[in-house]
Formats: sequence, structure tokens, C-alpha cells
Amino acid sequence: MTHTTEMVRQPVHRSHPLRKAIAYTAAYTALLLFGFVVIFPFLVMVFTSLKEPADTFSYPPRLLPREAVTVEVPGFDKPLPLYTVEVDGVQRQMALAVTTVRVGVFAPPDNLAATVTVPLDEVTPTRGADGQAMAVVDGQPQPLFDVSVNGGTVPMVRLSQTALGRFVDPENPQVTALANVRLSPPVTRITWHPENYRQVLELNGMGRALINTTLVTLMVVIGQLTTSVLGGYAFARLRFPGRDTLFLLYLGTIMIPFVVLIMPLYQLMVLIGWTDRLASLIIPWVFTAYGTFLMRQFFLTIPREIEEAALIDGSSRLQILTRIFIPAATPALATLATFTFLYAWNSFFWPLVIINTGNTDNHVLTLALNVLRGRAADSPNLVLAGAAISVLPPMVLFVLAQRFFIESATSSAVKG
Amino acid sequence: MTTATLPLRKPATAAWLAVLPIWHLVVALAAAATGVILLPRLSEGLLLVPVVGLLAVAGLSAAAVPYIRRRNHRGRVLSLAVNYLGFLACAVGLLHLMGAFTGIDDLARRFGRGLPFLLLAFLGYLVQAYADHFEYYPKRQRRVQEAGKGIILVGLALFFVAIVNWPGLPALALKLLQPAHLALLALAVLFAAMFWGMWRQPTAEAMHVNNARAETLSGLLFLSPNFLGFLLFFAGPLLLSLYTSFTNWDAFGTRDWVGLDNYARLLNLTVARLSSPTQLAAEVIDVKVYDELARFTLFGRSYVVGAEDKLFWISLRNTVVFCLIAVPLSVIPALFLSNILNSRLPGMKFFRAVYFIPSVAAVVGVSLIWQWMYNSAVGWINYGITVGINLLNGAFGLDIADPKIRWLSSADTALLAVAVMVAWQTMGFNTVLFLAGLQNIPTVLYEAATVDGADAAGRFRHITLPLLAPTTVFVVTTTLIQAFQVFEPIFIMTNPPGGPNNATLSMVLYLYQNGFQRFRQGYASAIAWVLFLAIFVVTLIQFRRQRGGVAYEA
Amino acid sequence: MAKKLFIVIVIAVLALSACAPMTPAPQAPAQQETTAQQPAAPAGGEVALRWRTRPDNQEEANVYKSISDELDKQLQGITLTYEPGGSETASYQDVLKTEIGAGTAPDVFWIPGTDVADFATRGLILNLADLAAKTPGFSVDAFYPGPMRALTHNPQTGAEGAGSGALWGLPRDVSTFVLYLNKDLLAEAGAEDPIELAKAGKWDWNAFLDVAKKVRALGSDIYGYGANAWWGPYGTWMNAAGGGFFNADRTACNLDSPQSLEGLKFQQDLYLVHKVAVPYGEDSEPPFRAGKVGMFQNGRWATPGIRTVTFNWDVVELPKGPAGTAGNWLFWGAYVVNAKTKHPEEAWKLVQALTTAEIQAKVSAMGTNIPSRVSKEAIDAFLTFTPPQNNQAFINGLQDNPVAEGPLWAGSWPDFVSVMDARVSALMTGQETIEQFAATICSEANKAFGK
Repeated sequence: MTHTTEMVRQPVHRSHPLRKAIAYTAAYTALLLFGFVVIFPFLVMVFTSLKEPADTFSYPPRLLPREAVTVEVPGFDKPLPLYTVEVDGVQRQMALAVTTVRVGVFAPPDNLAATVTVPLDEVTPTRGADGQAMAVVDGQPQPLFDVSVNGGTVPMVRLSQTALGRFVDPENPQVTALANVRLSPPVTRITWHPENYRQVLELNGMGRALINTTLVTLMVVIGQLTTSVLGGYAFARLRFPGRDTLFLLYLGTIMIPFVVLIMPLYQLMVLIGWTDRLASLIIPWVFTAYGTFLMRQFFLTIPREIEEAALIDGSSRLQILTRIFIPAATPALATLATFTFLYAWNSFFWPLVIINTGNTDNHVLTLALNVLRGRAADSPNLVLAGAAISVLPPMVLFVLAQRFFIESATSSAVKG
Repeated sequence: MTTATLPLRKPATAAWLAVLPIWHLVVALAAAATGVILLPRLSEGLLLVPVVGLLAVAGLSAAAVPYIRRRNHRGRVLSLAVNYLGFLACAVGLLHLMGAFTGIDDLARRFGRGLPFLLLAFLGYLVQAYADHFEYYPKRQRRVQEAGKGIILVGLALFFVAIVNWPGLPALALKLLQPAHLALLALAVLFAAMFWGMWRQPTAEAMHVNNARAETLSGLLFLSPNFLGFLLFFAGPLLLSLYTSFTNWDAFGTRDWVGLDNYARLLNLTVARLSSPTQLAAEVIDVKVYDELARFTLFGRSYVVGAEDKLFWISLRNTVVFCLIAVPLSVIPALFLSNILNSRLPGMKFFRAVYFIPSVAAVVGVSLIWQWMYNSAVGWINYGITVGINLLNGAFGLDIADPKIRWLSSADTALLAVAVMVAWQTMGFNTVLFLAGLQNIPTVLYEAATVDGADAAGRFRHITLPLLAPTTVFVVTTTLIQAFQVFEPIFIMTNPPGGPNNATLSMVLYLYQNGFQRFRQGYASAIAWVLFLAIFVVTLIQFRRQRGGVAYEA
Repeated sequence: MAKKLFIVIVIAVLALSACAPMTPAPQAPAQQETTAQQPAAPAGGEVALRWRTRPDNQEEANVYKSISDELDKQLQGITLTYEPGGSETASYQDVLKTEIGAGTAPDVFWIPGTDVADFATRGLILNLADLAAKTPGFSVDAFYPGPMRALTHNPQTGAEGAGSGALWGLPRDVSTFVLYLNKDLLAEAGAEDPIELAKAGKWDWNAFLDVAKKVRALGSDIYGYGANAWWGPYGTWMNAAGGGFFNADRTACNLDSPQSLEGLKFQQDLYLVHKVAVPYGEDSEPPFRAGKVGMFQNGRWATPGIRTVTFNWDVVELPKGPAGTAGNWLFWGAYVVNAKTKHPEEAWKLVQALTTAEIQAKVSAMGTNIPSRVSKEAIDAFLTFTPPQNNQAFINGLQDNPVAEGPLWAGSWPDFVSVMDARVSALMTGQETIEQFAATICSEANKAFGK
């Protein structure tokens, strides 16, 4: 960090080219690294939301949505899934015909190292099931089975048993091989499932929730900017008795966590009849101490002389506010708009309490998402499609309008 | 009475000043009568506020009469206040009865139709903004700007056309014609007219208004929308919550005053000495009241700490630990990144936008993403660790075991996991804030320091850090206040919320559990107030420490 | 000035009309809701009722909606509105409680069995005993006795059963635990088939541990057993050892009895000694569905999700413990009537209509539930809802003397379970030894009683 600061602050002719190159590289490496950390979860979200449910659980995790490839094999009614199987040390693509073939690992009792793996239904007990021959291995009597090896029959003991899949060559179904299905990678191809979004938007009410959230956010932002500008101007520029006491009161309440208010506010909403109404998500949030505080701080920085000159010219207070203060305060307004937007768009606790879970017509995104994560708990693709719907619109908006919101805007937050 | 004898310049003003006292007398009588009629029903509880309000208005209105007659400016203040409040009450009441507020639900139905046009308006804004690219071609710039403006206007107009409920308008008009609604409307108009009558410049002059008095009135008027809403939706509920914290309210019926009992139970701790570090707590403390919270050894003696409400203390500890992890984790990288971004290298705007992205994402959505990433079996984070360890093992012939960290289900890592996510989300915003602070530092200072021979580290320590102090205080304080109230990520990511073994039980979550799951509203309110005090103290310390450079002093 | 004023007025009128309610449509949902909240004689003399139950997925929500529409036609004089409510993770109960507090809760709603006592003793739900007595043909014996004991508990007298003078609601459905088996994994491990073992009566803790160990040996990321971290799974091990959460009359903690501790110890060993289980606290469903878990303990509600997996799977009853039973739970939840309803008689009619055999068959056809009525027809129908092939395992669980999920009349279940959950979690992750657990658990958990 210090390198880059130096590099920039120093007149160019004084920096050594090599040092400069190193500083550049270090700076960009750090930026890219953090950029990756910031962006990666969103990539996971977007790509997972385009997967089919089964693919979301695959391990190792894959970014791109993939789907198992199946092939038509002569002699089988249904298409068979294709796997990459190792046969005699060679990787080849084969179709899985039978998922579970019980096999035993057999070996002659006198040479336990010479194992063969044979399906259980291809061996028979030596000398029949009734009088099965036994052999003593490690002091334990073990039953003997007739196992055919290279055309001949050898009595062997069973060391262990497991299950393998029977794979067939799709071109030549006579060629088969036994292999572990779990450890054989399936052949996949990339397939996108944008219909996940349609499902979430239409079936799970996210579309309606998106509209509601937009409406609520818009109204809260407009309302809060209005009351905050008026209040901030009064606190900053107009003298009236009790002003400073009142302002201290405002300041103190900024620190009060919202949860303190949730229950009494709920009671108030019941009284007015706004439970389960979008109005309850809008009107109470139009009046905030924080916005007033922010606007006041900014208005304080505007020179008094301008205002006094306008007063002498006969402008009214409202004219002064709209013609001088508001244009000058664009950065502060943008800041407040940003804060308010984020607050309104993301608020979850209050809608959770005030909006009836049954009334999906009035759900906002966070709420719909909360319902979705319960209802579609077994389909992470749908849950993350829902997440994407709630996360992407403000993102696009802010990136497009970043000149307005981030640039000119946030720079004032601190100045204030 | 001397003032009254002064000749009035205009007959209109004289008329107003004659009508106003009568009006106020009528208002006072009507308000008092209504208040008195409602008085016997005061026991119904919720009527208290309107009754007190009505009686207060009656008093103010009556008091205004003699002052107006004496042309005393106080009469103007009182009269304006009464008429203003009366107008507001009637107008809001009318809107309420007309269903304007609950009608927002219906608006939402049509809003979707208007949304494309709103986007069109936004597009217009983008076009307008694009005009800046033609800085050196004023003509073209103006054309593009006007095109943008046109698009905005057309978009907004279409938007309004789309969302207005045209077929509903006649019904609305009919509704307005109902007697109660008409009466309210008439009353609102009367109040407004009286307000204007007193407000107009000639009346003001007749009432001997000077600049200071005018300013006071303007100040109150400007503040009033915010202040009234603040009283209704913030201060009122706040007081109710404080009252509730002294009761045992269960959200349904019982609401008995219990004094400080809730707070006493919350904060009740006991310490007892143990004869050995492993002695059972039950032998030294009353386990009917206390649960063992912690034990420690001091100067070779062992002690056990018991708490009546163990979970509260656990939640307090978790919250503090959470802040201690999340705040530095979000502030320090932000400081670092903002210093790089402040350089004039190409591409900085891009990175700034990228870092800002997580802060605009909904917490609920982001929590779901991270929950998936943290999954210990199929999640990306553990997969990344596995790949990293395999690489290390392969490259250096090491034999590091794969930890397979159970991020959210192990009591050791769950809080850390949530804190990392929260830090990730707030980092970008803090970066932008720091960047703004950095851009306010005059470049001259750095140049001077360079001339004086300061190296980069020195400049950072002696110029950047001190001058960035106000920003730092602001960033740390806001991040801290947010972190203290952590709820959503824990609620979404951990299962059960607050688990495992209460390792992620935060204060707000504990409050939620008490208030909304266990029917203990009174107790929950007490927790809320303790949380408030904790935040207040922390913030106060922050501001004290940085007194000198704070830009936020009142 | 006049122009400005005109503009302001136009904008105000537009804004107002934008917010104006739609032209009064008789069936507008918002309208219906208001009538339900202030039931002032809805159109046509119909009584409007709102009811709610918790669906676990969208399909369930749709089925309940169609049931509501059907009953709406069937029940004379009643207009029904169904509200899905959240799912388990979506705070169904929290929201319901908030609404009860505000007086906006529906007339009839579903609550889990454990919550019945809390709701009943606070007077939030209606005692339906008198209404039931006047209803010809109604009998509490038509339902499984476990839930009905809790639903007829009279907190004043402590009496239970038909003549107790109390009836808090009727059970929507029941479920038991089974082990969902990844048959491919079990075969690959060469383990014996649990279903065959169960048929032969050899499916006990030892056989279970043997299977789990064999599966675990397949790889570092393959687990023999998985269960989620809540009272259901850990309770079965205690029950199977002859212990349990409470003493016989459910008035005190029993978590430190030797039997309970034996069950917990066996379970702890699964996690910490044999290490065959998906680590405690991790959601076992994703790894099971990814094909990495041999046996996954869950209820019938997990079936729809598991039907999407690609490997061969089936279910088997829980293994029998030292006490001779599998210690299974009988999970249930009940439709109850809001104490503040304006129409108790209609609400009671609705509760009955929602628990008829036909409606229950509809719900259980989705595969998530087992009917709560004791009838051969219901069970036979249930057995046909495959996969899983071995649906009998659920019924075996029902007939193996399961412990009914029960409310706590003498104390606070949420308080008790929050203490217990945290301490068991500490036990299963090795933060605490079984001795430390035994020494203090009951002094802590007993505070949930007698408040």
C-alpha cells in the first residue's frame, strides 16, 4: 500500500522504473485478489442458480452447470448414463447398465494374494450348498466356492464382498466391464437451466415481491429525502428556541437499535390497521433521525453569506432551500439515498414480523426469499435463483449509476 | 390594547383579524367538548393520546384568542400551530378514511405495469449523464442532455398513466362525497384557510412579527413533518418500550408493573470460591437460581461465576467477540484498498465499483450464498482448502491433513464464519468511505513531506492516518453499531439460529427469541435497553477518544 | 404561482388516485381479509374463516390450497381462506405468535404437538370439549392415542382421555423416524442388508454399528450414519435405551438417568469414538443426497426430496436398543382453534373437516405424511405411496410403541429444549464429557419447570 501511495504522490521523474513496475504489480495483484474474493460468491450464486438440483450436490463443486450425459444402447429400453471407466489401465467411456452387481473378492486358500473379483451369482459353493467344503484360513474355517478362472474352476475362499457397476460399451454392448460407480467420473456436458428463474418468479411469488420491494424502496427513499432535507435545513440554518436540545435528542436516538421499537411499533400498526399492509413498510421509515442528522451536517458546510444575500433579495426560505441548498447538497442527497435504498431494500426483520406469511401479495423480496429457502430447502438451485433476483437488480442499478451514487455521492458522507 | 388601535392598512387584514379569534374560540369549544365526551372512555387505554391532544388543542386555541386581539405575536404562533395541526389531522384522517394508505397494496398491483416506464426514465438519466462525454462539443452535449431530459419526462408521464387507477377514479369521487369525508374535507380546507390568513405577510406585519420570530416559525414549520412523524413512529414507541421493560408483558394479556425485576434477572451474577478447580458448581452456588457461566483461577484460587440468565451473558460475549472480529476485518482491508484506489492508476473506478457490489446485496440473499459456500461437504471454501493443501503437500512433500472445517456447525468456527461474511459485505462500503476521506487530504501535504524526506511509511503514519481520523471514527463507529445489532446472517445461516451450542447467539437474536418465541415481551424490552446502553457507551468512548478530529460535533 | 399550485394539486390527485383501492371487486383478497378480521356479516350470510398450516414445499402448499377450495364448497355457510404460513425455517411459529399477540391470527391454525401446552395454558386456543360432546359420532379414539392424550389433557385436573373435559384440537397427521438407506453404498461396503436384518429381528444397535463402520471404511468423505442436530434424533437413542427427556409424569428432567445417559453415550461414540457419523450439527441431507451417507435418519417429510436422488435407496426402521424398542417418536401436529375466533362452532366444523379420512389421504398421497386416524384403510393406502418400497418401516415404527412428541404441561418446552439442545450439542462435539453433562444437566434443565 505504501509503495503505491508513494508512487502516485511522487513526481514521476523521481521513481525508478523497476520500483514502479513492482509497485504496479503489487497493487494490481492485491486489487485482483480482493476483487476475486468479492465477486466469487456472486459467481457461485449465478451459476448454481442455473443448475439442475442433482448437480448442486456434486463434489468436487463445479462452477458451470453440468448434466450427466446418457446414451441409447441397443438392448436397453432406457438411455444409460455414460461414465469414464478405467478398464485394464485404459480410460474409456462406457454406459452404466447395472448399478449394483454384488461381487466377492476371492482367493485360493493357499495363496491369498492372488485375488480375483467375481460377481457373487457366478460362483457356486464347492460341492453344493448342503455339504459346502471348507478351508482353514488364519485358523478360521472358511467356506469354499468354485470360481472359474481362465476357463478352469478353482475352489477359493471369499475375502470380502462389495458391489460394482456393470458397464457396457455403447457401440458394442457385448463388451462389459465391472467397475466402482462411485469412483468413476460421470461424463457430463454443460446445460443451462434458466427456467429455474421462471419457476421462482412465477410459482414462488418472487415476481410480485420484486415489484413490491421496488415500490416500497422508492417511496421510502423519496419520503425520507423530503423530510430529512426539511428537517436538516431547520436544524442547520433556522434559529428557534429548543433547537439544540431537540437536535441532541435526535442525535441520541440514532444509536437506538431498531429492535427496541419493534414490538411497540407493531402495536401501533395494529391500532392504525396497517398490519399486513405495505404502508407499514413505508410510512414509519419516512421519518428518521439519521437522515436529518446527515443533511444538517452537510447544510452546515454551506456558507451563510450566500443564504443571506438571497434573503436580502427577497427569496423565501423555501426558495432558498430548493434553489441553493438542494443543488449544493446533491452529493449528500445521493449518500442518503444510497443508505436509505440499501436499508429499505434489505430490511428483513420488520417485514418478517409485520407482513402475514400467508399474504404473498404483500411480500417483499427478503420475505419471499425466507419462505423460499424453507419451501425449496432441497433445491439450492432455486434458493440461489431467488437470491439472485433479490441481489442483482440493485447491483445493476448501482453499477450503471455509479457516477451518481458512489462517486459524487459517498464522498460527502464523511465530509458531512 | 394600544396596539389594536393602530390603523390597519388593508381591510382584508382587518377582516382576517376579526374572524380568527372567533374561529379559535369555536375550535377551542369544539375540541374541549369532544375531549370531555371521550373522557369517560379513557379507561379503554388507547384513547389517552387523542384525548390529551384534543384538550391541549382546546387550551392552545383558547389562549390564542386574547393574544390575537392584542395583536401580540404569540397569538400568531398559537394560531398557526393550532391551524397547522388541525389541517394535518383532518388531511391525514381523510386520507386514512379514503384508504390512501392501505391502497398502497393496490398500487403495488399496478406498479408492475409502470415499472418499464420508470426504467425508461432511468435510461433517460443515463443518457443525460452520458452527455458529459461530449464536454468539448457543447452543442452536441446540449442535444444529448435534452434528449435525456425528454426521455425522463416521457418515461415519468407514461409511468403515471400506467399506475393511476383510471377506472377507480369515479368510485373515488363518490367515496369523497360521503358525509363524513366531506365534513373532514371541509374542515381541512377551513383550517388551511385560517392558516393562510394568519400566515400572509400583511397579517404578519399587523401581528408585529420581526425577523427572529419569522425564523422561529419557519424553523418549526420546516422541522414539523419530520418531527411529528418522529414523535409518532419513533419517540412514542420508544417510551412504550421503556415502559414495557418494567412490566412482565407476555404480548397477550398480562402487563403488570414489575419494577426493575427484568433488569435484575438479566444482570444477576454471583461469584463463589471453589475448593478445587473441578468442584461441582452446585456445591457452592444455588443452582436453583444460577447456572454456571464460567470458572477461572486467580492467584491459585478457583472461582466459579454463576448467572441467573446464562444465555444473556453468552449472547453478550458472542456479540462482543463478533464485533472484535468483524470490525477490524472489514475496516483494515478497507483502509488498505482505499489507499491503492486513491492512486491514479487506470482501472480504479472499475475496482471501486466491484468492491462496492456486496454492500448493495440483500443480507438475506448473501447469507444464503455463503451458507452454501460454507457447506463442509460440498462447499467451495472447503474445496478451496482441500485443493490448497493438496498443492502444498504435492509441491513440498508435506503431509498436512485436510481439516474439513465444519464452518457453521462447529461451535469454534460458526461465529467466525458469520463475522467473515459480514466483514466481506461491509468492506466495500467502508473502502468507498475511506476513499472519500483520502481525497479530501490536500496533495500539497504529501509533496511537502516528500521534500522533507519522509518515506512512504512515514507519510502514511504522519499524514494519512491523522488526517483520515474523522473518517476512521465514522467508519469504525457505524460498522460497530451495525455489528452490535447482528441478526439476519445468524438467523439465516445457523441452524438452529444461534447454534451450535449457543455459539452464535447474539443479543438481538436472544431478544427475538424472548420476545417472539417465548412470549416474554417485557424481558425482551429490557434486553433491548441493555443493548442500547452498551451501544451508547461504546459510541461515546469512540467519540471521546477522537474528540479533536471529529466532524460530527453538534 | 397559480400554475405551480395547479401542478401541485394535479400531482396530489394523481398520487391519491394511484393509491386508490381497485374498483370494489367482491372477491378481492384484501377485502376478504378485512371481513375475516372484523367478521361483520360477510356477503350472503356466510361465515368467513381463515386457516393456516405449514407446508414444507410448494407442492404441499398447492394441495392445501385445493383442499381449502374443496372444503369451501363442501361446508355450508362457511367461506374459507387458506394461508400457507412459512415453512419450518421460515419462522412459522414466530410469526403466528406475533399475530396472536396482535389479534390478527387466523381462526384455525396448525401447531406442532410440543406447542399445545404453551398455547393452551396461556388461553390462546379454544377448548373444544363442549363442542365435541355435542357432535354426534365424534370420538377421540379414531386417532392415534399418543397425540390424543396430549390433546385431551386438562391442565386443571390432570385428566386425559375422552371424558377429561378438554380437547385442544385434532392431529393433522403423524410421522415416525426411519433410516433412509443408500443401498448402493451399503452393497459396495459389503454390509448386510438392514431391511433383511430387520425382518429377521436382528436389527439392533450392534448390527447398526457394524453396517455404519463398514460404510465409513469406504472413504474419508463417506459416512455410515447421518442425522440432523435437534431433539428428535438424539431423543431416539435415549428412548431406545429406556431413558427419555422427562420422568413418567413429565414434571422433571430425566436426562441424567443411567438409561438416558446410556443412549447418549452410544450416540456420542458414533460421533467421537467410531467416527462413523456426519459430524454433529452438519446438515446430513446434502451429503446423503450426494451419495456420501449410508444411513440417514429422518421422518416421512424428507421423502419427497430424497425421491430425486439417482442412487438406489429405501428405508428401514430404527435399530432396536437395549430396552427392546427402537425408541421412535410419534411426531404430530394439530389443528387448533384461535381463542379469539368469532365463530367457534364453524371453526370446530372446519377442524373436523380437515381431519377426515378423505382429506388425510389426499395429504398423505403427496408422500410427506402418514394419516393420523387409526384405520386399516388409511395404512393400506399409505403403503402404496412408493417409493420407498419399504413403506412398512414407517408403520413398524408406529406399532413399535413410539413415544408421542408431547407438550410439557408442567413447564416450558421451549426453555427445556433450548438448554437440552445446547448441552447435547456440546456432548456430541466433544466439548463436554458424559460425566460433566450428567453432573449439571438436570439442575439447569429443571428451571424450565414450575414457572
